[in-house]
Amino acid sequence: MAHETFAVEVLTPEGLVFQEDVEMVSTRTGVGSIGIRARHEPLLGILDPTELRLYRSDSDIVRFAQGEGYVQVAEGRVLLLVEEATAPENLDRSDLEDRRKRAEEAASSAQDNSEEQRRAQRDRRRAEVFLEIAGGGGS
Amino acid sequence: MSATQAEVKDRISSVQNIRKITRAMEMVAAARLRRAEQRIEALRPYAGAIRRMTRQAAEAAGTEIGSLPVLKEHDAERSVALLLVTGDRGLAGAFNSQIIRPGVRAAVEYEGEGRSVTFSAVGRRGVSTLAFRSREVQGAYTGFTDRPAYADAREIAEDLVSAYVDEKVDRVEVFYNGYVSPLTQEVRRETLLPLARATILEGSEREAEGADEEKTGHHALVEYEPDPEQILSRLVPDYVEISVYRALLESTASEHGARMTAMRSASENAGELIDDLTLEMNRARQAEITQEILEVVAGAEGLG
Repeated sequence: MAHETFAVEVLTPEGLVFQEDVEMVSTRTGVGSIGIRARHEPLLGILDPTELRLYRSDSDIVRFAQGEGYVQVAEGRVLLLVEEATAPENLDRSDLEDRRKRAEEAASSAQDNSEEQRRAQRDRRRAEVFLEIAGGGGS
Repeated sequence: MSATQAEVKDRISSVQNIRKITRAMEMVAAARLRRAEQRIEALRPYAGAIRRMTRQAAEAAGTEIGSLPVLKEHDAERSVALLLVTGDRGLAGAFNSQIIRPGVRAAVEYEGEGRSVTFSAVGRRGVSTLAFRSREVQGAYTGFTDRPAYADAREIAEDLVSAYVDEKVDRVEVFYNGYVSPLTQEVRRETLLPLARATILEGSEREAEGADEEKTGHHALVEYEPDPEQILSRLVPDYVEISVYRALLESTASEHGARMTAMRSASENAGELIDDLTLEMNRARQAEITQEILEVVAGAEGLG
């Protein structure tokens, strides 16, 4: 069944990685998983690392490993502003393992409740989520 | 005594080989420079969108952004962190030394005022030179200056922001080669933290004023996840990341520009040297011919 489409842009500091009309966007905000369809009400939210899915149709889905960022829905358009958006097949498992290990060490050696610790926890969560996505990609 | 023809010939061919290398390096630098320029361009739309979102969130929050930790000035400026952005490699003229020199000078000045200084450096050149000058390097970021990724900038910015928020340092400055044109780099010294409010608000006037008007007109209808204050507190530190990333990109473009220029003048020097040596070789050949003729003439005279 075809759904109404709407314009989506995925913009990173390294440039535009996706700009198409899609039927649905599935991602994760600070509050939880979210699916956005056409005529979604205006929204501004924080995005957490997750697998971003852009549904061209029910079966044709573009996936990205998405880092932290923001989502804005305005005037029927959706803008995803993310620090990184990597195609799952381009993820580097050993690099991610390294990052997770380093973040874990940093988190345990940092002072409780310090900014340093919060940051290490963010790094660890991102690495864990990306590892999960890389695992699903069968690399 | 002048060299023989064969000796000069050898020297010419070795200079020609060097010129081939410097020409190739010049070409590589030119290609990388173009890519680095494109990446500076690619950052613009992202930075603009972050700025517009910050304005929207700030309006919705209705709070003073001055209370956020990265914007708050510390009571006393006891400790200063200096970030020096250099390259991993040399052969780029004064590119690295023109960053290290003013950085160390600034450190000496701050220390003269009784403040403590910690160094961080991007690029192997900066790290090794600081170590050579017996300066401790708090953060050493190397291996990516040919092509910095946003994740590199995030790592550096998060180190600096957490040191600032946790009050380990009271001020952070960055020194880098700003990119003006392939032939011109200018050394820039900027304050990263405390983040200046002007950094957030500047430029927002000319950027899509019209489009923003529409959105803010009915912002009461906008749903926020989570609330605007939390969104704002995450957006503002992003400016430090973006500033660091821009400094890395400009430094990379400058490095390729400087190397291109250095290699071009090396190729030109090689060309001049080849001209001089060719002249010397011709002179040597002429001398040998003259010598032979003299010998033949002397021999003929001896017979007669």
